[in-house]
Amino acid sequence: MYRGREGQWAFVLHRLTGVALALYLLLHVIDISLVMYGPEGPFNAFLTFYHQWPFRIGLIMVIAGVVYHAFNGLRIIVMDFTGWGVRFQRQLWYGVIGATAIVGVPVLIKIVPEIIGGA
Amino acid sequence: MTTAPRTLKQARAIYATNTELAWWVFMRISGMLLVFLVFGHLFFNNIQIDAATIDYAYVAERLSKPWVKIYDTFLLALAMMHGVNGLRYSVEDYVRKPGRRFWTKTILFTVAGIVFVLGTMALWAFSYDEMGAAVRALQ
Repeated sequence: MYRGREGQWAFVLHRLTGVALALYLLLHVIDISLVMYGPEGPFNAFLTFYHQWPFRIGLIMVIAGVVYHAFNGLRIIVMDFTGWGVRFQRQLWYGVIGATAIVGVPVLIKIVPEIIGGA
Repeated sequence: MTTAPRTLKQARAIYATNTELAWWVFMRISGMLLVFLVFGHLFFNNIQIDAATIDYAYVAERLSKPWVKIYDTFLLALAMMHGVNGLRYSVEDYVRKPGRRFWTKTILFTVAGIVFVLGTMALWAFSYDEMGAAVRALQ
């Protein structure tokens, strides 16, 4: 397998997170749509099922994917619409990783204790 | 200066490019809007509250607010178009055989259309103020 440098990893991660998020989005809309069956419908049973810890860890990965995809998407826009973006794409990608961590760590600090406490 | 395409090959070269250019622009504009819409959505439902407390009453309460319906409509439409177009890019990159590619995309667009209609119905076709109030009265 060809292993490129930062630019290729940026692309691979963008595509993986993008495909995963799009598939999650389809499932998410379908399960929230169960709200249409009303309070006596299957909605609460479904959500209780999804509140188990493996799915909550999955949700953390969805959030991490969103944050990376968002910041790397902004990097792509900068590369497309400025004269200097492509020249600094590698530095920008380290910025993306840094920004993902800056947003992600507080989210982990907020959510991980909820999972441990609620399990 | 452009001239009308004279062959199928020319038409494909011209029109496919224009449609792809429109999608290319759309991915960037919707992407910028989605950064704010999705971060807001995650903040409301994962940070302001514990996501494991979400139940029917919470969702009914949220969906009884007009601004949530409008916010979620934009979120649903932009995210679905951005996500499904991204999946289409992946299908076109990795599904090589024309027949298989056609059917993969047909199934993708069909499923996406059904899910979009479901989501829009969930947002607009029901009065959750009554149901939310009924649930709160029961609790």
